[in-house]
Amino acid sequence: MESLLERYRNLVVLLAILVAQIVGLAVQVRRTSAGVNTLDSSDASGVRLIRLWANTVVSPPERLIHSGFGLFAGAWTNYIDLRHVRAQNRDLKQTVDRLRLEEAALLEDARQGQRLEALLGFQEKYIYTTVAAQVYGTSGSDRSHVFYIDKGARDGLKPDMAVITPDGIVGKVRDVFSHTAQVLAVNDTSSGAGVILESTRIRGILRGDVSGRLEVVGILADERIHPGEKVLTAGGDLIFPRGLPVGVVEKVVRDPDRDAFIDVMVRPAAHLERLDEVLVITSTEPRFSPQQQQDLSVSAAEEESVPAAVKDQMKASEIMAEKLPGLIDPNLAPDQQPLHDSSNPNPVVQPPQPLHPDRFSPGSAPDDVPEPDAGSPPDAQPRKPSALPSANGGSTLPGSNSTPEATPQRNL
Amino acid sequence: MALLGADLRRDLEIHRYPLLVYTLVPLTALVLQAWLPRVVGRYDWFDLPLVITIYFALGRRSPIQGTLMGAAMGLFEDALSHNAIGINGIAKTVVGFLAASVGIRIDVENTTVRILLTLGLSLFSSALYLFVNRFLLDLATEWSWLTELLRAVGNALIAVVLFPLLDRLQSRD
Repeated sequence: MESLLERYRNLVVLLAILVAQIVGLAVQVRRTSAGVNTLDSSDASGVRLIRLWANTVVSPPERLIHSGFGLFAGAWTNYIDLRHVRAQNRDLKQTVDRLRLEEAALLEDARQGQRLEALLGFQEKYIYTTVAAQVYGTSGSDRSHVFYIDKGARDGLKPDMAVITPDGIVGKVRDVFSHTAQVLAVNDTSSGAGVILESTRIRGILRGDVSGRLEVVGILADERIHPGEKVLTAGGDLIFPRGLPVGVVEKVVRDPDRDAFIDVMVRPAAHLERLDEVLVITSTEPRFSPQQQQDLSVSAAEEESVPAAVKDQMKASEIMAEKLPGLIDPNLAPDQQPLHDSSNPNPVVQPPQPLHPDRFSPGSAPDDVPEPDAGSPPDAQPRKPSALPSANGGSTLPGSNSTPEATPQRNL
Repeated sequence: MALLGADLRRDLEIHRYPLLVYTLVPLTALVLQAWLPRVVGRYDWFDLPLVITIYFALGRRSPIQGTLMGAAMGLFEDALSHNAIGINGIAKTVVGFLAASVGIRIDVENTTVRILLTLGLSLFSSALYLFVNRFLLDLATEWSWLTELLRAVGNALIAVVLFPLLDRLQSRD
């Protein structure tokens, strides 16, 4: 027997342990009334004790590991995992700088594209032949308001050609080289252009002062000039075509040298300090599109149909309108100008109605003196009591002087 | 897989460990088994007490020690759960006995053998668990063999990494 146990010792131990556990399981499982086996919801005291021991053994190190893991995770997240953050931060800063440069370049390209688009649109619509040029340099001195453009003699540029932008005039070509040209800006002290104020039609000479501001000189003091009035090219200087925008009146100051004259300070319409693309007017010969040519032919045909006398009258009216600025109100629309007012300038004014009309009231005399009847004696005419004593002691009708026809009849 | 004489292998390749290792390693396995599911969530496809049971049973090549180790680990697992105490105990007791019995006859130093043994014994442990639940106790049990297969694969992968590490802890007399 002993040798049998010794020989099968492993199996015996196994079976003993298994049997013990099976018995323990059998204690924990109970059969319900429905015939289904289930575990007791409440452990027996022995089972609870085993669970308590297991929990006592496992829980402390488990909590320790949990806390340690929390500390490790925090240390990893806040310290160890940040060991490359400095390098990443440096790389990110470099990336941000590079992206900023690229963004600025793209923004500049977009702005240039918009400017060129506007310039091209203006160039296509403009009546004169122009050449687009890029401003690439300046004089480098604030005493010389000149700049350089990338078009020259090979592009058809010549001295004294007007340089403009869609916003307004810029200057004139001063020196022309083969591929480049020097442009004298209108705000230079040596520059000059004939201008006219849009509404008051006052002419003057545009030039720049020492600080680079635009001013119109040679104008007699005139109270009609107000800030905000538009200034246009007059066209008399044979450089700038007529009607190009120059700027708006900023303020009016008295000429320090001449008492009777004023200087009109002008805010330029073109951004003279930030020029990028400009147009050079290479020919002042008008060029018309087919539609414009068709409109011109139609207009000419209509004009021929108008009698010569009417044309003379219209021309005289235009000249008069230009010489009499008072006929043009800058605050009114062109179709509401007094020049086009066809109503009677001296309308019939009705006198005010009296509060207590009497025979002296206007319009009452004819009604007070009725037409004399041929068969009735003069004394038979009705008399009204005299209001004023006459010189011979009698009474005089107040309306006797105003009705001369009635008095002879009564005297007769 | 070379089959050797049982006495020869038992004499030559019995792994012995310090008492501290016998104590701390199973305890660590139990603690990690209780704590790691909090970290990995629903992907707890491993059974560290079973892996440790297999390892010590294979290394010691003593069926009694393997049986006792399996019983202790299983009972602890059961005690930490709300299930009846003894279900895992029975399964791991048998697994420990089988692992030790197999370790006497097979070269368990080979990695492939370890993987296959761990995989097979894990599935056998699951089968025993199901057998005890459904047939021995007649308890209703939700079951998925796919989950059990994944758990067996997880145990095998853990064994590949863990067994060489634990081999370093054995005492060389």
